[in-house]
Formats: sequence, C-alpha cells, structure tokens
Amino acid sequence: MTTTPPQVARPPLYRNVNVLKWVFQLVVFFIVLAILFWLANNYLTRSQDLGIPTSFDFLDQPTSFDITGADFSPAEPVRNAYLVGIGNTIRISAVGIVFATALGILVGIGRLSRNWVVNKLSTVFVESLRNIPLLVIMTFCFLGIVLQLFPRIEEAWNLGGLVIVSNRGVSVTWFEGTTVAALLGFLFLGVAGWWLIARWRRGVFERTGAPTRAGLLGSSFLILVMVTGWFVLGATVTTPEVAGRAVAGGIRVDPSYFAVLVALVIYTASHIAEITRGSIQAVPKGQGEAGSALALSGSQRLWFVVLPQAMRIAIPPIGNQYLNLIKNSSLGAAFAYFDLTLVAQITVGNGKPAVPAFVLALVFYVVLSLITSTFVNLANRHFKLVER
Amino acid sequence: MKPIKLLAVLTALTLVFAACTSDGDSDSSTTEGEGGNGGTGDGGSVLEAVLDRGVVNCGTRDAFPGFAVLTEDGDHVGFDSDFCRVIAAAVFGDAEAVEHVDLETADRFTALQSGSIDVLVRNTTFTAARDGGEGATFLSVNYYDGQGMMVNTGDYSSIEEMQGAIVCVAQGTTTEGNAAAESARLGLDWEVRPFEDTDLLQEAFQSGQCDGWSSDTSQLTGFRSVYPDGPDALTILPEVFSKEPLAPAVADGDSQWAAVVNWAIMATIQAEEYGITQANVDQMRDSDDAAIVMFLTGATTDEEGNATTFDPGLGLPADFAYEVISQVGNYGEIFDRHLTPLGLERGVNALWTDGGLLYAMPYK
Repeated sequence: MTTTPPQVARPPLYRNVNVLKWVFQLVVFFIVLAILFWLANNYLTRSQDLGIPTSFDFLDQPTSFDITGADFSPAEPVRNAYLVGIGNTIRISAVGIVFATALGILVGIGRLSRNWVVNKLSTVFVESLRNIPLLVIMTFCFLGIVLQLFPRIEEAWNLGGLVIVSNRGVSVTWFEGTTVAALLGFLFLGVAGWWLIARWRRGVFERTGAPTRAGLLGSSFLILVMVTGWFVLGATVTTPEVAGRAVAGGIRVDPSYFAVLVALVIYTASHIAEITRGSIQAVPKGQGEAGSALALSGSQRLWFVVLPQAMRIAIPPIGNQYLNLIKNSSLGAAFAYFDLTLVAQITVGNGKPAVPAFVLALVFYVVLSLITSTFVNLANRHFKLVER
Repeated sequence: MKPIKLLAVLTALTLVFAACTSDGDSDSSTTEGEGGNGGTGDGGSVLEAVLDRGVVNCGTRDAFPGFAVLTEDGDHVGFDSDFCRVIAAAVFGDAEAVEHVDLETADRFTALQSGSIDVLVRNTTFTAARDGGEGATFLSVNYYDGQGMMVNTGDYSSIEEMQGAIVCVAQGTTTEGNAAAESARLGLDWEVRPFEDTDLLQEAFQSGQCDGWSSDTSQLTGFRSVYPDGPDALTILPEVFSKEPLAPAVADGDSQWAAVVNWAIMATIQAEEYGITQANVDQMRDSDDAAIVMFLTGATTDEEGNATTFDPGLGLPADFAYEVISQVGNYGEIFDRHLTPLGLERGVNALWTDGGLLYAMPYK
C-alpha cells in the first residue's frame, strides 16, 4: 500500500520567500542602475551645455608637459604619458611591497623577541608609525630627510666612492653596456641551475648519505653563471661622480621616488609587523612546545614550525596591506613623483577634460588592485589548511 | 530586532541624515552655485542668481604676494582681490559684497564649470585650450605677463647657461608646458619638477634641490619679495619665454554675465585714461566733459537737449563706474597699491596712450 506525501499548500506570491528574494534583488538592482544612469546623464548634459568634451579623444592630443626621469617629450600623445605614469605606479608599488613585507615580518618577529633592545626598538617603530597619517610621514621624509638632511649637491656625501647622496637624489654604482633583462636572464639560468643541483644532491644524499652541500654547490654555480654572463654581455661598472651641479655615471634614484618609497615602506611595514605578530601569537602554544620537545632551537622552532603556520593566517591581511600600499602610492603626486595620479592631475591642469582623465586613472587602479588581490587569493588557497 | 538594537540603528541613521542636511544648508548659503546659478541649461542667468544672493563668488587664492593674500584679519588683499571688489562694486554698489573663494590651481576650472564660483580672478592665463575645452570665457586682460626664470643670485646670468638644470614649477599651469618647450627649443635638457604646493616648491628651491624656479614673472616677483633669505638672494633672469596674459574668466554660456564683468574691469582702465582717481571722482561727477559725466553717472542729454540716462543694456546700474572708482580706484591706483611695492613696473601694462597695451572700449 503506497502512502502519498502530505500536500503542503504553497504560500501566495507575496509571501513566498523565494519569489520575494528575487523581487527585492531586482528592485535594488534597478534602483542602483537608475541612480548611475541619472548621474551619467547629468554629467553629459551639463558638459554639453558648457562645451566641455566628454570623450576620450584627449588621449591622442600632445601632452605639452615633460615627465622627469623618463624618455618622454612634450609632443607625445597623452596616452603615452599615462603609460609612463602607470609604469611608475607599478614600479614603486612592486618595490614597496617587497621591502615592506621583508621589513614588516622582521619587525613583527622582533616584537616577540626576548632581547630587550630588539623588542623595544620594534615596539617603538610599530607604535609610532602606525599612528601617524601617511601623508605626514611622507612630508617628513621629503622635507625632513631629502630636503634638509641630505646635503646640497655641492657638499654631496660620497660613500666609499660607490654611492653619492644629495638632495637631488641618490646615485648608486650600476652597470652599463647591457640591459637589465639580459642580466636577469642569466640570473634566471643561474637559479634554475641551483635548483637542479639541489635536486641532484638530494638524490645523492638519499642513496649514499653524503652531505648534500647543495647551498655551496648551487651558489658557486650561480656566481659562475653571473660572472660569465657579465663578461659575455660586455657589461662595465659605472661609478657616480659629481660633475658641476649634477652627478655623472651610476644610476640615479629620483629624490621624490626615494622619499615616497621610504615613507610607503616604513608605514606599510609597521602594519605588516602587527599582522605578523598577531598571527604568530595565534599559532597554538602547543606547536612551539612540541618543537622544543623535538630539541629544535629557538630559531629553528620559529622558522620550521611556527612561522609557516603563522604566515598561513597572515596572508589575507597582508594582501590587504598590499592593496593599501598601491593606493597610497598616489600620495606621491604631492611630491613631484610622476605616478599615475600626478599624470592625470597635470593632464587636467593643462586643459584636458577632468572626468574622463580621472575615470581612466580610476579604472587602472581598480585593475591593478584586482590583479594583486587575485594573486593574494591564489597564494591563500595554496597555503590554507585543507580540512576533510 | 531587540529594542536596544533598533534604537542604536535609528540613532545612527538620524545622525547621518542630520549631518547631510546641515551640510546642505551651509552649502546653499555660501556657495549656492549649484542651486540658482548655472545660466546654462538651468534656465536661470548668472546675473540674476548673483543679484538674488547678494554677493559675488569670486575664485581666488590665499597666499600669492601682491595678487591675493589672506591676511590675519581674514581679508583678501591684492591686485586680483581688488578686481573681485571692482566687480562687486559694479553689480551691487558695494565693494565688500564679494565672497573670496580660495582655490587650488588644479581645481580652478572645475569650480568655474560647476558654478561654485561666478568669476575666476586668479592670475589665470588666457589660452585657446582654456577658452575651448575648459568651458571658460576670458574677459579683458588685466595684466600682461610673461614666464621667466628665477635663480639664486650668482648661479647663472642667462637661461642659456642652464644646461641640464633642474627647474621647479607649480602643477597644473601653463608653466610646465612652457618650460618643457623652452628647454626643447634651446636644447637645454631641463628636468622639470612640478609641485602641487608653492610652499613645498619654495622649500625644495631653498634647500638646493632646484637650480631654477620658473613661473610668471609677476609671481616670481611676489615670491621673491617674501623669500626667507631676502629678495637679493634671488635674481630673475632677463629672458621672458612666453606670453601670459592674465585675465578674469567666467563660465561659458552666459554672455550677459560676461559683459557685466568685462565692462566692470574696463571701467578701471577707462577711468585712468580720463584721469579719474579715487580722490577726485566726486568732483569729476560734475565735470564739464560730457563723456566723463556719462561714464560716471550715466547722465546725458538726448537730441533735443533733454536730460536722460544712458543705459547700454548691460544690466549694470547707471553709476556703476562711479561706485567702482570711488570704492576701489582706477587701474593705476590698484596697480600702485599692490604691485609697485613689489618692484613691478607698468611696462606693457601701461595705458595705450603711454605706449602700453591697456585699452578700454568706448563707453557709449
């Protein structure tokens, strides 16, 4: 004998939760769309009345300004200026992220150190820099350090003949006669060779028990490759020298770039330090104790047991700080650093329409942030705990 | 939800809306550009909006020696500030019926376009790109300037010696483009560094980061006069490498308001040509010269010899020129009050009768 399931009366449409969910979402969607449409329409009609162009044609007009530190002429179209600005933003963001992470993790570990001096220094670093607005830090770096502390070009500091420091920039001994890409190619070869050597030696170790000496062999191989590459490419060293009111030779680090980079690095590092400290403390104490039970030393415990687990927790907030750094790099515009924001500002100041110019900059920042957060999410997914 | 949570949410919402409306009120009382202003597509005219409001919103700056300086008493003092007062005196008969709105260089045209200011009197160069794409209409030039270069005394004696120099300029101005063009023209390979803030620029220049400071010569003279190390520490090089006619600007689309501002400015030049000063304007009202009397009071006689009032249809009161001269002064007096103490000479800014470029259109 079959039993029929009890019939459940379906609620009327206006009380049916599934229907209401969709209706509500659609209504909100259309309201948002309507607002955006009204804003755009308002802008377009008003601009038309005033005779202000609203298209992106300004990208093809000559820029009529110069960009320092780049191979750029005022006759080039605005789109090239934007490309230079984008390049500068990416450059300072990438370098800033690398240094800030390194410094931040070190300082974060330092805050948990049992060495009183290291502990106190790290605490002062973090607590002071976290509480000062970035623009103030940047102004201090530019006015205080670059303009006041660094000497005038006539009295430039010469550090061992390798580095010349003045308030017009820092010139460092560099190579010439070849490109960065070529040298990086050799570096890549050297590192790949090191990796292969390490694999080989690990195999040897497993078969015979002989020490791997992977570090020694690998690094000698890398040095060999780099030296060979240097001579093959015909690179030479250029040392900077003061010539009149400028510095000849070497590679010059723009003073604005230097000030903005230093400010971004120390500010973001202070935040990353706090994140690192918090995530180290979030690792269960038992892990560290298990490490000592296995006779691991303090630094071995940190490096092999605690830090890997702590970094797993720290990846999303550190990724957040990376996004902050990218956006904060736009403050460099106030200090004559030609990032994207400054290029957009000067473009508008020279008579190009404001809204399209800034919409373009906006879109780029969004794209860069999305790319960065995608990488961070990938890293997170790779490292996170996979639970059954 | 629980009553306490509901209360918290309602309080937060009330605070947010209270903040919004109070902002709206203060906006409408001071800038009110968005409201009744516009004159283009809004259906209203700028002159009507200004008359309703009772003050002229004049875009200016706050720390430019000689042209517009915000003093400790809260007054704007300077050449451009006085021309703001000229416009107010012409429209309202009261030179103080003006609201000086301080603007950054990068925002000045957007403020004009959006209507938050009625007129921009801010040492702005009249160029084709601004006349066209920026939605601005430029009026009678009130100062013919040129771009120059300022260096530490003794460093250079001519621009041509500045090979590979670092030149600092202000952002968002014609200066950057002109400096780049001049550098290319003479093959000097300058490094042009633009600063947003003039204080930062001065710091950079003083600390030796810049070899030269380039800007309009009038600006350089002004900044030189207040330089911390003294004006003699700086020299303005003799070369002038661009035309920088500085003129007031209004937003495109309202020719009546443009004419009002234009004739108010020209009244100061015409007054100097007639020899009318702040001191003698009252006597000049009863002058034998019918042209002067008509200019100052609008009183004239028609073909039959009957007394009548000349109304050119500008929308200004008949005696606007009298109010302008008696309350602010003629062009020469305004120049002498603010620019002569800096060491600027009339030069091309003299009247056309003295060989200069200032020429007022005939008021008839």
